[in-house]
Amino acid sequence: MASANVTESDIQEWCIAYLTRTADNPGIAIGPEARFTELGLDSATSAYFIVELEEWLGTELAPELVFEYPTIAELARHVASGQGGAADAGGG
Amino acid sequence: MPAAADRDTASLADLPSLAAVLRHRAAEQPNDRAYLALSDRGREDAAVTFAELDRRAFALARRLSVCARPGERALLLFPMGIDCLVAFFGCLYAGIIAVPMMVPRRQSARDASSSILADCTPRLALTTAELAEGARGDLLGRFREGGLELLAVDAPGGEMPVGPDLPEPRRDDFAFLQYTSGSTSAPKGVMVNHGNLLANLEMIRVACGNTRASTYVSWVPLYHDMGLILNALQALYLGALCVLLPPMAFLRRPYLWLRAISDYRAEVAGGPNFGFDLCVERHRPEQLDGLDLSCWKLAFVGAEPVRAATIERFAATFRPYNFDPQAMWPGYGMAEATLLISGGRRRAGAVVRDFSRAGLLTNEALPPRDPADAQAIVGCGRALVGEEVAIVDPETGVRLGHGRVGEIWVAGANIAQGYWQNPSATEATFGAQIAGEADRCWLRTGDLGFLDATGELFITGRIKDVIIIRGANHYPQDIEDTVQSSDAVLRRHAGAAFAVADGDQSERLVIVQEVERTERNRIAPAEVVGRIREAVVIEHDIVPHEIALLRPGSLPKTTSGKIQRGLARQLWLDGSLERL
Repeated sequence: MASANVTESDIQEWCIAYLTRTADNPGIAIGPEARFTELGLDSATSAYFIVELEEWLGTELAPELVFEYPTIAELARHVASGQGGAADAGGG
Repeated sequence: MPAAADRDTASLADLPSLAAVLRHRAAEQPNDRAYLALSDRGREDAAVTFAELDRRAFALARRLSVCARPGERALLLFPMGIDCLVAFFGCLYAGIIAVPMMVPRRQSARDASSSILADCTPRLALTTAELAEGARGDLLGRFREGGLELLAVDAPGGEMPVGPDLPEPRRDDFAFLQYTSGSTSAPKGVMVNHGNLLANLEMIRVACGNTRASTYVSWVPLYHDMGLILNALQALYLGALCVLLPPMAFLRRPYLWLRAISDYRAEVAGGPNFGFDLCVERHRPEQLDGLDLSCWKLAFVGAEPVRAATIERFAATFRPYNFDPQAMWPGYGMAEATLLISGGRRRAGAVVRDFSRAGLLTNEALPPRDPADAQAIVGCGRALVGEEVAIVDPETGVRLGHGRVGEIWVAGANIAQGYWQNPSATEATFGAQIAGEADRCWLRTGDLGFLDATGELFITGRIKDVIIIRGANHYPQDIEDTVQSSDAVLRRHAGAAFAVADGDQSERLVIVQEVERTERNRIAPAEVVGRIREAVVIEHDIVPHEIALLRPGSLPKTTSGKIQRGLARQLWLDGSLERL
């Protein structure tokens, strides 16, 4: 679980490490500008990715984030700004 | 099993239509919940009783009858939930042919929706107000462009229109079309009539030993034949409660499905093989506190090849929660047979047997010579009551005896009526005759397998080119087209997409693609591969396991220039295809 003061750069690093570990044969370097679709995240694998990120951060995230913020850099920026909550955040 | 409930349900098979079944349920058990929808977090979201479902479907049918005539088609574009079933039964009540479809993915431009539209020429598209208004992006824009009328079933209907009297559907009226077969370029809509549906629902009831007490918990999408028929419609046929969990909720948190099975004391729950693997992979004991799966009597597995290792791992992982391994129930089926072709006996557990790999290569099911020669295959049960399954030599049409591998052919009242407005494909698939047996027609499944002496069916492979990933069909020609469109350096009609499955691994997609002669030395292969991968992910929502660029001329072709996919696959497996 991440500590309270997670920075955008921490999130980027986490994403890169996770995707490096789990990517099935991407053949390309995974950097902040990499697009999720380019890395081979389909809806199922991106679902697992977001769930793991949620658990690491300790906060809810909407699964659609990978579509709305399609690179690691954009996602990290958005999540770090504290707006990554799911629509039904109140419902838990 | 209470005899009265048994008699009650058995007589439903003789009703004229599934519409009549719902009316019967609404009369017999009006206040029992038919469907209960859970939210993305597994909380109760909405519920409908049999009486309410009947009422809402009837009201919708009155609205539909003003916009469309019996026999016309309506697309159903819904997320998992009760509205989809209201729409489905509304169509049945109005005599309109329902065409369930997946809601198009956000980015995909070339998915099957346009070609399905062109093939079945629907009058209407039924959906929710949220989707119709484009609250989350205009996913339905492409339907509007074609001039199709979008109708939100959950929008207030206003005055009940005074339309023509609703027809009483009959057994030979089409209930719906299933478009899970066929590629984007050549879609095939399986025509299922009420007779087929009732026959298969009854076969399923008998094979599963289901009763009104057989509560279901399902995460499989309703546009998928397993989700619709094996889960939602079977439960209604029984008068049982069906709990619906959104598929994405399951993918993200498989434990929600297990918790719902435990909380609602469900008897029946299942899905494609990968779903069971997912439960094991993402298992965390702290999420399953107090879980008790002793109620779970029938865990059906199907829609894609069932792996012995999957069943064993699942049973071992969840035994501490009182999961009974005898509940595992592998099955086999396809849309062309309405849904189910074979299934096991209730509580008998999975039949897993070792066969000789060498023997299978020569199309014979023999005991293994030694451990290295052994291949475990999971049996898919036996032909359902009222059905016949034959193993036939696909070249000669000669019936083969047990222990011989051939193409699986099926006959029975559940075999659908053919493909929508496609007489040649219908004739080829549904009109097959066994050599020397001219009196009947059989469904050719395109799958290979054998029957043992007890009648247990084992699937060993397939003749047809379809690739099955996460229980869904994908067509090589669609993927090849996407690949070739992703970069101009890739040669048209010089690529192959195929599935490779190694023993216990599920099917993985392999793409081999020739590069233009003029470009060979100029391209950056990694970039091209990246473009291919991205295009396939966006258009088909699957991830290629391997992508290999080849020299021009590497792929085997027929004399007329068509790529020989099966041979390409064999060359790949042998390591004979040279990458650039």
